[in-house]
Amino acid sequence: MFKLSLALFLCFSSYVCADQEAHELLKKMDELYRSDNSTSMMTMQIVTPNWQRTLQMKSWTRGMDDTFIRVLSPAKDRGVATLKIDRDMWNYLPKINKVIKVPPSMMMGSWMGSDFSNDDLVREVSLVKEYTVKKTDEDKSWRLILTPKKETVTVWARIEIVIEKKRLLPIEQIYFNEKGEQVRTMTFSDIKKFGDRTLPATMTMQPLNKTGHKTIITYETAQFNTVIKDNIFTLRHLQKRF
Amino acid sequence: MLTIKLAYRNILRHRRRSALTLLSMGGACFLLSTMISMTEGSYSNLINLFTGDFTGHVQIHQGNYLQRPSLYKTIKNVNKIITELEKDALVMSVAPRIFAPSLAYGKDKTFPAKVIGIDPAREAATTHLRNKVHAGVYLNNGLTDSGYAPAMITYPLAKNLHISLGDELVLISQGIDGSIANDIFLITAIVGKTDSAEGMNIYISLNAMASFLSITSENEVHELAIKLKHQNLALTFAQQWQEKLTPRGLNVDPWQVVETAFYNGMQVDKKSNYVSLAVIIFIVSIGVLNTVLMGTLERTREFGVLKAIGTQPIAIFKLIMLESTFLALASCVAGMIFAMPLIWWLSQVGLTLAQPIEMGGVKFETMRAELNAFSFFTPIIVIILSTLLVSLYPAIRAARISPLQALQAV
Repeated sequence: MFKLSLALFLCFSSYVCADQEAHELLKKMDELYRSDNSTSMMTMQIVTPNWQRTLQMKSWTRGMDDTFIRVLSPAKDRGVATLKIDRDMWNYLPKINKVIKVPPSMMMGSWMGSDFSNDDLVREVSLVKEYTVKKTDEDKSWRLILTPKKETVTVWARIEIVIEKKRLLPIEQIYFNEKGEQVRTMTFSDIKKFGDRTLPATMTMQPLNKTGHKTIITYETAQFNTVIKDNIFTLRHLQKRF
Repeated sequence: MLTIKLAYRNILRHRRRSALTLLSMGGACFLLSTMISMTEGSYSNLINLFTGDFTGHVQIHQGNYLQRPSLYKTIKNVNKIITELEKDALVMSVAPRIFAPSLAYGKDKTFPAKVIGIDPAREAATTHLRNKVHAGVYLNNGLTDSGYAPAMITYPLAKNLHISLGDELVLISQGIDGSIANDIFLITAIVGKTDSAEGMNIYISLNAMASFLSITSENEVHELAIKLKHQNLALTFAQQWQEKLTPRGLNVDPWQVVETAFYNGMQVDKKSNYVSLAVIIFIVSIGVLNTVLMGTLERTREFGVLKAIGTQPIAIFKLIMLESTFLALASCVAGMIFAMPLIWWLSQVGLTLAQPIEMGGVKFETMRAELNAFSFFTPIIVIILSTLLVSLYPAIRAARISPLQALQAV
């Protein structure tokens, strides 16, 4: 009897243990590009069958919830900015001098015509907070299988993240819809050192239901855990000419 | 030959009766042709009024734009197509258009709007847009003094946005390169009035539209609206150009296809009109039957004599049919001689409507007749055919009559 309960306990604890490990891994993925705060310069290349364009932008993040992005080029879109604080998001269009609040219903909508949704860009969803996670071992990599918690509002029924074991960096992130079909994949490549951090500098988002569409984000520079003024994350700063 | 001579003589012999028949058939011909040209004219008017509002007679789109519009389904090399179209003698004018669903910002309100990029001069030549401007000045290609591109806004939209002439209008849409299209425009004209049924439209010039949507090529539009010499050329014109433009992946549709609902509604109305025409034809035919029947009854003895001296029944049949045909032809000529000046007057001057039809601020006060092949030949054919049809019975009756009975008849 004792043996049995011990076996059960061991079994259970190892399960919890694995769960804990997966949780830690996911947390690491969550914070990979963010940390306590970060500033980065990135380019975004959007490719569709009809057009393609490249945006250059600067982004600031604070904690897991606040983000500020400003488009630097092309000239036509220079100054277009996005601010996200907690669950609220605003876009600023300098040409018409208007701040437009993005309603939560639009979070899944495309950001600047890219294959990233508003939600992706501002990482509204902290994966650790919103998903339960399981880990499977795949030889050289871990595969995290994320299923949304009951109260999570999301369009994804499952997200799988493949993580390289050696460096603990993501390789691929696959999004599934409620029918269990793959809807889009994000691949990570071009591993670079930014300060004391090693990160995949390039992320390629490819929607599988739209042929010929893809969006590539490349981090040019990134700094983590520096001093960022709090007034960056304000509506006033959003409307500031620069 | 003899029968023809006899028929001719018979008509002249019974002058009074012939004149009576001529009068009733000629009257019918007159009535029919005036009525048909009047209905044709009013439909033509209605179609012109309707297609002139925005649709045009024929439209050209890329692929299935009409069913599933998309920003990217553009007609490429549009200037070349316009030049080619304008060489066609049937084409009066061609208007290129670019569409973009947008969000319009008034002072404190927002409203979804359809932004339409137009070539001001071509649009004015193709539709009534210029006449529908009730305040301000019609669109031009330049910029306003304040450096913003001018925009014309429909009355209901201006009302909803609480803005009017001289106010700034902010538009947000999706650019052709995926960017957020956003710009400020200055309202220089209000299209339509309080009581006119206008859509939530905003008109800006093609080049303002191109810069708004970041369209770099000046050679691409979503739609070409074509005004033809006459609305009834639309179907054949569309077919003919469809063949030419199929290799470019373009679809050419007449207004009947573009505005199916309107067309179907009109067809139903037209059918009910044909029913009333059929009633008139029926009444006329009864009248003709009456006169021809009376004529043969009156001449029973005559036919008896003819039969008695050995005339074949077929000859008598032919004789009566020929007489009727001559009379029908003569009455058509007479009817048309009287009808034509009237129809011409109706088509030039027209009848003034007590209640003018208004569409988007363009008023139609007179109902005009229209003379075309249909309204000219239909009454003639109808009169001749119905005369032949109703003459069959008296002719057969006369052919079959026995000489003895006929000679005994009073």
